[in-house]
Amino acid sequence: MSRLLFVAGLFAATFATMLFLVLPIVAIFTHVSPATLVDQLGNPVVTDALLVSLQTTAEAQILVLLVGTPAAYLLASRRFPGRAALITLVELPLVLPPAVAGIGLLAAFGRVGLLHTSLPFTQAAVTVAVAFVAGPFYVRTAIASFETVDSDLVAAARTLGAGPARTFFRVVLPLARGGLAAGEALAFARGLGEFGATIMFAGSLQKVTQTLPLAIYAQFDVKFDVVLAISALLVLISASLLVTVKLATAWTPSLRSSALHYAPSTST
Amino acid sequence: MRRLLAVVTIASLLAAGAAAAAGHATLTVYAAASLTDVFPKIDSTVRYSFAGSNTLAAQIQQGAPADVFASANTTLPAQLFAKGLVTKPVVFTRNTLVVIVPKSNPADIHSVYDLRKPGLKLVIAGPAVPVGSYTLQILKNMALTSDVLQNVVSRETDVREVLAKVALGEADAGFVYSTDARTVPGQVTVIKVPAWAQPKVQYAVAVVSSSPNRTAAQAYVNHLLKKAAQAKLIAAGFLPRVKR
Repeated sequence: MSRLLFVAGLFAATFATMLFLVLPIVAIFTHVSPATLVDQLGNPVVTDALLVSLQTTAEAQILVLLVGTPAAYLLASRRFPGRAALITLVELPLVLPPAVAGIGLLAAFGRVGLLHTSLPFTQAAVTVAVAFVAGPFYVRTAIASFETVDSDLVAAARTLGAGPARTFFRVVLPLARGGLAAGEALAFARGLGEFGATIMFAGSLQKVTQTLPLAIYAQFDVKFDVVLAISALLVLISASLLVTVKLATAWTPSLRSSALHYAPSTST
Repeated sequence: MRRLLAVVTIASLLAAGAAAAAGHATLTVYAAASLTDVFPKIDSTVRYSFAGSNTLAAQIQQGAPADVFASANTTLPAQLFAKGLVTKPVVFTRNTLVVIVPKSNPADIHSVYDLRKPGLKLVIAGPAVPVGSYTLQILKNMALTSDVLQNVVSRETDVREVLAKVALGEADAGFVYSTDARTVPGQVTVIKVPAWAQPKVQYAVAVVSSSPNRTAAQAYVNHLLKKAAQAKLIAAGFLPRVKR
């Protein structure tokens, strides 16, 4: 009896969880007809915001990839005092409320901030906010995937005469590519959704700093159709990014699995 | 297992009961962001939600649990009244707009006309926010619309966001109510907007029709119109509800 009750409880909880998580997303699409959605996609508010969003997120991702990848490799491959503290610091923006990130960016890069830059209210400010908030998603995943690269393979490449740079580009990078791509897709999705830090640090101006989430907020009390259309658009983009994450995680190079299976173990 | 279920059930019933009791006792007042400092001085026993009046009106249309709606204009409550969502709105105070610049005045602004200087960073509220629409009226009245709007670097969601960005020194200037400027003394310098260019800024209040506490909500509205509350509004820099 109690066993049946337990299993029934599990099913009920799963059903409630799924319903609760899926309902708001389904509701967006029941509120807006496909015709309205397509129609509103031509609305300049939506197209301008989409352009600002894609441009700033793409710029931020390039920054994150170029700087974050080598940093993640160092943190993953070297052991030194303070390493754990450094990794924790990298992860801090992940758990920080976006509004705090916005205040921090103002305090650091504001006109009256530490560095006295003229970044606030420019499109570059959006890029900086996105890089700050989304970057850690990539760096953290990148550290994890560099750590899973078999160190024997790296050592083998080095004994065969490859320098550290060649080993990195020819062995480590290809082996870690699945995890790196997954982290990148996650960071891209988080970047597209950035709101709090952006509105505080960069403000909101159509064609310049108004991203898709900011446009939702600005249009919320003006035209609900537009808000639903942007939301539906973001659901579709985010869903495809999530699928990308799943596929990328499964994108494991054959070299690694063969090495794990057939290479003689040296650990014993 | 059964005992656990019973505990969970009782706990959730208690939580629901407590929430219902709290919801019944305390009035929820949705009020324009510019009323943030003065309303708690008038009545500190109710719960306040301060935001742009347009945001609050949209939330009420979506069924937000407000009892009273105090807007920084008469248009939004009138629209809700026309839809039967609130009772007939009454004007309870008035206000004027000013230009504020950071105390350091980095762009060297001394009159509204200086806002035409190319390259300065002006922050205003969005066009749907009451103060944003008043700002556009002033610029139109002074024939400055195109020259000044090209200096706008951000359209904020309520007047307090404009205030914050100027008070922080990030923006060179902004349009706010004169009452907002008084809440950050020492951080901003006020530049007057000529009386002839001022729009008609009237604040209207109404009881939300779906409120379960309509009697208490009406009492709050009546209290706003009485001498004691009016004196506090005037002390905060608001204007008497009827022009003398």
